[in-house]
Amino acid sequence: MAPQVQQPKVADEMAQIPYEPFLPVEGKLIAWSLILGAVLLVLLVWVSYTFFTG
Amino acid sequence: MEKTKLIRNNEDWWALWIGLFVFLLSLGPMVGKDFLGFGAATSVWLALGKAMAPVSKAYAGMSGIVALLLTYLFMLVIMGVGAKALKFNTKEFAIGFTVIFWVSYACWLIGNYAYIAVTPNQRAAFKISWSLGLTGEAGFVVALLVGLIVGNFFPSVTAFLKEATRPEWYIKTAIVILGAFLGVQAAGATGLAKAVMFRGFAAIVEAYLIYWALVYLVARKLFKFSREWSAPLASGISICGVSAAIATGAAIKARPVVPVMVSSLVVIFAVVELLFLPFLAQTFLYHQPLVAGAWMGLAVKTDGAAVASGAITDALIRAKALAVTGVNYKEGWVLMTATTVKVFIDIFIGIWAFVLALIWVYAIEGKSGQRVSVGEIWERLPKFVIGYILTFLAMLWLALQAPGLIGAARLSTGESNIFRVLFFVMTFFTIGLVSNFKKLWEEGIGKLALVYLVCLFGFIIWIGLVISWIFFHGIMPPTA
Repeated sequence: MAPQVQQPKVADEMAQIPYEPFLPVEGKLIAWSLILGAVLLVLLVWVSYTFFTG
Repeated sequence: MEKTKLIRNNEDWWALWIGLFVFLLSLGPMVGKDFLGFGAATSVWLALGKAMAPVSKAYAGMSGIVALLLTYLFMLVIMGVGAKALKFNTKEFAIGFTVIFWVSYACWLIGNYAYIAVTPNQRAAFKISWSLGLTGEAGFVVALLVGLIVGNFFPSVTAFLKEATRPEWYIKTAIVILGAFLGVQAAGATGLAKAVMFRGFAAIVEAYLIYWALVYLVARKLFKFSREWSAPLASGISICGVSAAIATGAAIKARPVVPVMVSSLVVIFAVVELLFLPFLAQTFLYHQPLVAGAWMGLAVKTDGAAVASGAITDALIRAKALAVTGVNYKEGWVLMTATTVKVFIDIFIGIWAFVLALIWVYAIEGKSGQRVSVGEIWERLPKFVIGYILTFLAMLWLALQAPGLIGAARLSTGESNIFRVLFFVMTFFTIGLVSNFKKLWEEGIGKLALVYLVCLFGFIIWIGLVISWIFFHGIMPPTA
């Protein structure tokens, strides 16, 4: 009889999450994402209201 | 090297094929034929005998119950073909599908009972002095509640129905069919449709860039999750639940257990949102219907629940707007906005997964020699989206090229809508079946659920509302 595959327990998985220091590249990913979001917000709002008024 | 197959064997592809098949059959009235006219249309009813009838006058001699039986058989066959191709246990699928179909239909029927569905302006016509005013779409909520009860309190029944409990497959098939209906609606207001498309696209870009970054930050800095957990969590909570969590997990080479656990929470929270967001939208946004539609698409995190929310919100807001302001908005525009927003989100999953793969490989893990394939974008694109776009554009093009055919086009989509609605109802019921709230009490899930709670109810829902307002306020659907 084949061994049954054990479903990983959430508690075990949570307990085994390693500590990983926050890297500068992660900070850059977040910062650039938010900055790009803010810049594009202004641009896309302008395009929407100028060319796609419905 | 193994050749890429054009037809992949997964639910996504079969949602596309089955949806397109129903769409093609529905085109019968446009060429003088009527292949789907037997579809059982359900009306708001006081006398059960008048609740259902064939949708087409060409089948007027057929009784409602026979029409319903034929509808069931047709759907069983087309889904059975897909089930066989997908190597499901076809006998278990057929039995499960039968139970799910009939229970779902019963819920839909209950939801259309006059005292539940009739809106205040219709009471005189039905000669009733009171009603809950929930519109026939209350049937969706009934189906969801019944599914939740069965799913959470009758595990043996849930297990029995497992093979046919496929909410994502049903909703994806429905979305392919839905495209045609929305295409005909869009033909009547192409300027508005273009505005909805572009503004939906704009809203998505904002959502991806702002949502994902904030959730990732919260998961990493506040809750101290590792990168392996934080990225799929961020995608699951901020973008599109199950698909995005899985795509992100694959992109960053997380262990499969991570997106699986994230996905289990996604469904539960999407159901909670489905139960209250449409009613919140009805209360506060009935004067801005498309803001409400976009909000559903941005805030609700699975395809099934988001489109379902859009459908309920469409009905609730039209009913309230008519009752309070006397404005009778055309059906489908709120739903179109919610669906368009969600479909754009789905399209971008592949692009975002590719971007994350690039960042992880080249910047975070710094593995030289490892390449990220652009083919990932195609791999990750949910294929049912192709069907939605095809049926939408096909109907839009037909209606614009031959305005004389618009009447026939409406008949066509009226017939395919019968099946689309039934797929919707089955989606609601099966979403309820798979939403195991006991999961929230599972040892260890607390931290994961807390991130979800903090992010979703702390800022995702509200940023989604703000973005929806920015892009959609003042854009009004056409009136009937």
